[in-house]
Amino acid sequence: MEQNYDFSKIGKQMPYTVPDGFFDKLEENVMNEVKAQPVRKKAVTIRMAIRTAIAVAACIALFFVVKKVLPQGQNAATDDFEKVELAFNNLSTEDQDYLLEVYQEELFLENDLNELDNEESI
Amino acid sequence: MTDDNQIIPLIRDNTEKGFRLLMAKYKEPVYWHIRRLVVSHDDAQDATQDTFLRIFRSLSQYSGEGSFKAWIFRIATNEALRLLGRNQGKITLSLDDTPQLTLNMKADEYFDYGNAEAVKLQEAITALPAKQQLAFNLRYYDDLSYKEIAAVTGSNEATVKANYHFAKEKIIKYMNTNN
Repeated sequence: MEQNYDFSKIGKQMPYTVPDGFFDKLEENVMNEVKAQPVRKKAVTIRMAIRTAIAVAACIALFFVVKKVLPQGQNAATDDFEKVELAFNNLSTEDQDYLLEVYQEELFLENDLNELDNEESI
Repeated sequence: MTDDNQIIPLIRDNTEKGFRLLMAKYKEPVYWHIRRLVVSHDDAQDATQDTFLRIFRSLSQYSGEGSFKAWIFRIATNEALRLLGRNQGKITLSLDDTPQLTLNMKADEYFDYGNAEAVKLQEAITALPAKQQLAFNLRYYDDLSYKEIAAVTGSNEATVKANYHFAKEKIIKYMNTNN
């Protein structure tokens, strides 16, 4: 048998209450947190600038190293990956270690920034 | 009341002013939605704050398609379910689960026993599985359409209608049985 209940008797009344001034305080708490947020975005920008600077420095270093190592007449083809690889192989172990270290730092920095970006987007 | 279509671009132009408008419009509906689900005032306060911070961080992900209100209520619902799940040692509460809240309700400091009918209605609602609570609450208290509720719960309109129907039947039965 279908039963009925007159919901209009109670409407949207609830037994729940809140402390005085609660919603104003809630808004202020949230706004204080929100105002603090852009600082974090700024930090990301600075880190991205550092990342870019490192990448540019590594490219410039690699360009000069390749230019120095490659025989005359082959400088025009420095954008060719195989020749860059050849130039790298002709470097001293010390120079190779230096470039790998720079590359690895760049890689870890990339991972950190990706993590930060992922956290931001949640 | 400011239109949602005005709030979103305003937040991009003037974050503080825009977000204040968003809070002015949604802080109470979001808090009460969460409160009805988690019952405890302290829990509702925490989940509401987390909801608005998450909304702020995720605003760029709102595509502009679909109801902004539903998008906000979806985030609020997820925060509430996460909190309820944590209280039961889970990551989040499943929509099929029934939160065990009756004791919390009676123990809460911010609870008015004076309105017996309102107390009884909340007892009936909180005894329902989460998916039925959501369908009933969002329709009855927040006036969301079935389509918007489906967007909140990640289901479809037919399922929401069924959940609302079952919820209403159970509530009516409870209210009549205990009269």
